Amino acid sequence: MDPKSPRATDASSQVDLTVDMAGLKLRNPVMTASGTFASGREYADFLDLSRLGAVVTKGVSLEPWAGNASPRIAETASGMLNSIGLQNPGVEAFVARDLAWLAGHDVPVIVNVSGHTVKEYAAVVERLDAEPSVAGMEINISCPNVDAGGMAFGTDCTAAAEVTRAARAVTGKPLIIKLSPNVTDIADIARAVEAAGADAVSLINTVLGMSIDARSRRPRLARTVGGLSGPAIKPVALRMVWQVASAIELPVIGMGGVRTAEDAVEFMLAGATAVAVGTASFVDPTATIRVIDGLESFCQETGVAHVSDLTGALVL
Amino acid sequence: MCSTDIHERRPVLEHVEVMANDRLAQGVGLLVMRAPRIAASVEPGQFVHLRISMGTDSILRRPFSVHRVVGDTIEVLYQVLGRGTRDLAGKRRGDAMDAIGPLGHGWKVEPGVAHALLVAGGLGAAPLGMLAEDLAGRGVAVSVALGAPTAERLVARALFERVARRVELATDDGSAGEAGFVTSVSARLLERDLPDIVCVCGPEIMARRVAEQAADAGVRCLVSLERLMACGVGACLSCVVTTKSGRLRACVDGPVFDAEEVVWDGSEVPPRH
Ligand SMILES: Cc1cc2nc3c(=O)[nH]c(=O)nc-3n(C[C@H](O)[C@H](O)[C@H](O)COP(=O)(O)OP(=O)(O)OC[C@H]3O[C@@H](n4cnc5c(N)ncnc54)[C@H](O)[C@@H]3O)c2cc1C
Ligand SMILES: Cc1cc2nc3c(=O)[nH]c(=O)nc-3n(C[C@H](O)[C@H](O)[C@H](O)COP(=O)(O)O)c2cc1C
Ligand code: FES
Repeated sequence: MDPKSPRATDASSQVDLTVDMAGLKLRNPVMTASGTFASGREYADFLDLSRLGAVVTKGVSLEPWAGNASPRIAETASGMLNSIGLQNPGVEAFVARDLAWLAGHDVPVIVNVSGHTVKEYAAVVERLDAEPSVAGMEINISCPNVDAGGMAFGTDCTAAAEVTRAARAVTGKPLIIKLSPNVTDIADIARAVEAAGADAVSLINTVLGMSIDARSRRPRLARTVGGLSGPAIKPVALRMVWQVASAIELPVIGMGGVRTAEDAVEFMLAGATAVAVGTASFVDPTATIRVIDGLESFCQETGVAHVSDLTGALVL
Repeated sequence: MCSTDIHERRPVLEHVEVMANDRLAQGVGLLVMRAPRIAASVEPGQFVHLRISMGTDSILRRPFSVHRVVGDTIEVLYQVLGRGTRDLAGKRRGDAMDAIGPLGHGWKVEPGVAHALLVAGGLGAAPLGMLAEDLAGRGVAVSVALGAPTAERLVARALFERVARRVELATDDGSAGEAGFVTSVSARLLERDLPDIVCVCGPEIMARRVAEQAADAGVRCLVSLERLMACGVGACLSCVVTTKSGRLRACVDGPVFDAEEVVWDGSEVPPRH
């Protein structure tokens, strides 16, 4: 079916794709992964945004961030590394330009938030809380904590809880904490942010990695290390989603290498309420729509009436 | 930014069929694809983002300039470098791929321009081929400085010789034209032909040198830059070029930039060894 046309109501289709996630009612459980879809405008040429469960935007910070030096990406086996460095124009420009555009597109908007300090995170969340078109916020705690020597907030239970509490104090909107996989025990971090007032968690962010050009003896990324994404990380992501979903009561948004409807089903079986498609959109700009249509067919074929029945239905 | 221009033709995702794929020289091929929607709207300097492999091993698309448009086909001139271009060289007539295009902003040469100098290094000849045909068709006088490692690798030479007033060559080994860099040819043509505009594509070190020559001569210079690209559509910020107005995306704000705007900070695609 043409990914650009709105889905016709199909009388024979009895599958209920809607999901409730942290107080948000989503058309279907498929969202975009932050940083891989900008604010949707670039992909509106290829698909109808209103078909998506939600658009999760690129990370937004208080002030503009210039990002890292180039090269910023490297293709690796079944995946890619990136060190974009959260380049963004700052929250005011985002609200004026991107959010204003997205607001007219009949799709829940979840804004991904970056910060270097707890105060910065809270300031962005407070600013976005004032915007009616923001359905929810996703806090990227993989950012370096400037006050703690650059170690990511998300690698420490205390720092992760502190960011969560500060964000919770300034918004009543759904608050999703995005977890980093680069930790010893991701379930510990999940429990810490749950106790600090999060409404949901999303995982996984990219896996820290490195690529070297043997001939020049140089790292392929200007920043030497970067985040791995794509099909290569799916087994790691599934394991972590399963661990976290078993450890906390909050809904989980699963991501990491989702490319097909079956990938999405696997994440839901592992305990995810919703999923996000990231790197796959670079390869196929209509990947999100393929996953949505494929989920519906999967449910029809396998006799699943509500897609949410898949959540946590792993047979052990 | 530029992407809000409502008159702009928007990119499409198109299934393309390989019509021909011929080896032109050692490691250089010409791919002809039936792509009616892209062919109908592509402009000189724009590119397509090709999905060469459907597997999940090598996952990213590969960007290629459109070299020529013939009817409902587009032509791509490619150099075999790594896995993607090796797979591309293996495509046969009838094979299917998909392409996103046309992408980016190409060379906008205003109607007042009477004489244009095109400077091509290696496969930089690919997008400049389409520009040369377009300009010649509009009655603009075209001079071309064309450089490559060897005479055999001056792959678009015949096209340029067909449409340009003057084509001067440089090869590393002196097997055609003068032995040495294309930048000595461009310096000479800038002085002799007094062009109104210089359009460049090639290795960044060469493009930068030509930009300096044009600046010294007081001539406007538009340079096409290569960056590593993931999405190709402006979403991922992989491909930024540092400019006087900040970091812009080569895939949508470029790949052609006004050389005056570019900050040459070494963020190009690393050279191969
Ligand atoms: C706008 C634009 C237009 C281009 N037009 C042409 C053209 O007309 N003809 C042509 O032969 N080449 C062109 N290139 C370069 C071409 O994209 C690369 O040579 C190609 O991607 C190499 O792929 P590979 O798998 O063979 O190499 P690998 O080295 O195996 O590729 C690994 C990764 O690096 C990327 N990469 C490697 N070299 C380059 C490069 N020079 N530029 C951008 N990405 C690179 C690949 O896309 C891939 O993601 C263009 C690049 C850009 C950005
Ligand atoms: C180029 C790129 C940019 C990203 N930017 C962000 C970001 O700004 N904020 C964030 O929380 N995650 C960011 N991510 C991580 C993704 O949202 C996602 O968690 C990760 O890529 C795994 O999913 P995938 O394998 O489907 O891509 C980025 C990923 C990529 C590849
Ligand atoms: S390649 Fe993604 S923004 Fe240019």
